[in-house]
Amino acid sequence: MTATPTAIDPVVTGRAAALDWVESSGYPTRRNEAWRYAPHKKLAELSFGPPVALTTNVPDISELIPALDGPRIVVVNGVVNTELSTMTGPTGLHLSSLLDARREQPDRLEVHFDRVESQISDAYMALNLAFGGDGAVVRLDAGVTLDVPIHIVDVEVPDETRNASCTGVVIEMGAGSSATIVETRIGVGADFGGSNIRTTITVADDASLEHVLLQNVPASHVHLSNIDVTQGANSRFLARSFNLGASYGRVAYRVHLAGPGAHADLSGLFFGFGDQVLDQQINVVHSAKDCTSRQTYRGVLDDASTGIFNGGIDVLRGADGTDAEQSNKNLILSDRAEVNTQPRLEILADEVACKHGATVGQLDESAMYYMRSRGIPAVEARRLLINGFADQVVDEVSIESVRTWINQQLGHDDG
Amino acid sequence: MLHVNNLTAAIGDKQILNGLNLDVGAGEVHAIMGPNGSGKSTFAHTLAGRDGYDITGEVTLDGADLLDMEPEARAAAGVFMGFQYPVEIPGVNNMYFLRTALNSVRRARGETEVGARDFLNVSKKAMDLVEMKEDFLYRSVNAGFSGGEKKRNEILQMAIMEPRLAILDETDSGLDIDALRIIAGGVNALRSPERSMIVITHYQRLLDYIKPDFVHVLVDGRIVKSGDHTLALHLEANGYADFETDLGDAAEQSFAGAQS
Repeated sequence: MTATPTAIDPVVTGRAAALDWVESSGYPTRRNEAWRYAPHKKLAELSFGPPVALTTNVPDISELIPALDGPRIVVVNGVVNTELSTMTGPTGLHLSSLLDARREQPDRLEVHFDRVESQISDAYMALNLAFGGDGAVVRLDAGVTLDVPIHIVDVEVPDETRNASCTGVVIEMGAGSSATIVETRIGVGADFGGSNIRTTITVADDASLEHVLLQNVPASHVHLSNIDVTQGANSRFLARSFNLGASYGRVAYRVHLAGPGAHADLSGLFFGFGDQVLDQQINVVHSAKDCTSRQTYRGVLDDASTGIFNGGIDVLRGADGTDAEQSNKNLILSDRAEVNTQPRLEILADEVACKHGATVGQLDESAMYYMRSRGIPAVEARRLLINGFADQVVDEVSIESVRTWINQQLGHDDG
Repeated sequence: MLHVNNLTAAIGDKQILNGLNLDVGAGEVHAIMGPNGSGKSTFAHTLAGRDGYDITGEVTLDGADLLDMEPEARAAAGVFMGFQYPVEIPGVNNMYFLRTALNSVRRARGETEVGARDFLNVSKKAMDLVEMKEDFLYRSVNAGFSGGEKKRNEILQMAIMEPRLAILDETDSGLDIDALRIIAGGVNALRSPERSMIVITHYQRLLDYIKPDFVHVLVDGRIVKSGDHTLALHLEANGYADFETDLGDAAEQSFAGAQS
């Protein structure tokens, strides 16, 4: 059966409006708080457009991603690669490409594509709306618990056109369902390129999702992540982000606690070398009563790298009984490295408990001395201390093979 | 074995050690007592290699110049210091830390490394010595440990490292009587003809459990009196006041007790 794009294809119908948005609102600049540290010149040189067909062979990715049992969807340059993907899974799990879902069930994608003007946060989101026609769709029926993780892999292989793929991921957790989903973002080659990936997650009442984001694209890439989460009553959402690769790696979350009693627990590690800029933009919005949220982020910045933690907690009117905490701890390993940490709290409800704290420190000299006095050489002691600092985020990940993979990327394997 | 000759140490303008002399023979246990601020801990740290001090004088262990070495090299040469305030290292697993320490020292000495399984046996024996439960191995180094647990962890490390010279810096501070008994029992079990110890303490109490061969009184960065264990009893009865008045004579005080 030939697929004929119907009139209701959300990408096609929304494209003009999205591009109009870019035309009228323009690109973010340094004056936009959320984009203050982004490499605007570099971003302007990238071509964010429709998928660009691969000009080389499909790369071997097995060495670049964690080994997970379970179904996986692999997207290469913005297009699902069916050969690399395993889309079958247990009963109650529905996996498809975003392209297929647009044809078959466009109404289910409204949550991802239907955005009025005011809901578009920036030009890159608009470009994703306009061109992000393929990607992954994961739906879990009500009451289903998955005991294997689902793996969504995004592979970028840019060429001389400086292409940056726009990709979409839609995750729909039915009421009372439970799963772990790992999104791994990697790339191949040394060409300048990028990716602009937008993930839309709905966690229905009583459902539970652990969502792990592993960003480790090559240093020649720019990576933009935008994760939008809406939670129902008594749901649980656990975000674990590891922002490791790219010259500019951006991880942006907007988590909306929309049903009473929902719980969001976001933690992440950013670990910068060279002149990397690793940017976390976190917004947690409490609009229902008695929700809890936690933000626990750690940064390690070496060489001339820059880390950004911009963490917001918005407690809207009526969200009484909110309990929200935020913590950002940073370890600076070089006098050329820098970190910018900024809490933003806005509280309009009653009986709210809100805590936040940030620290920026160097390696603990007394701990260095203690270890060296036990015979551990300075280089090794330094490594142990750094790993110990990072491990406290790594240990939050439930899947051992993912923890192992992260440790390998960080150059340590001591568990 | 350990030879300390005319050791001085200062931090900035502040002179802390003022010409300290000490000889420690193999298998001997020397206690160093003294009032607060007399330089006891500074002496321990100059032996272990903490930087930040301006140091003159001579310190050798089995003829090797310790002052020239980095802390890790001193550990490889057989120096171990039990800290008064053991450092908490969140995120670093105690067992991994201990094994890394042992294998670093073994590597530096050209010995074969100890595998994970063999190390478990080594550490179990050491844990029995200080009556530690196995879960200590799986916690972060000293993180959230009680005062007594931290000190036991120090003796555990000493048992695993098997040092040639152990310096115990106020290991008794902050311990209740049961913890003191356990720690002293561990230290006593580790006494051997090849291992020397310097036990630094403010109170005589510890020396009821660990009987020293020699006792030295440190005042104003100098050893002003040396004797056998009865000197500690004298200090307990009379305090340090006797010694704080005759500093002028300090340089001439013999420490014959240490010259065995």
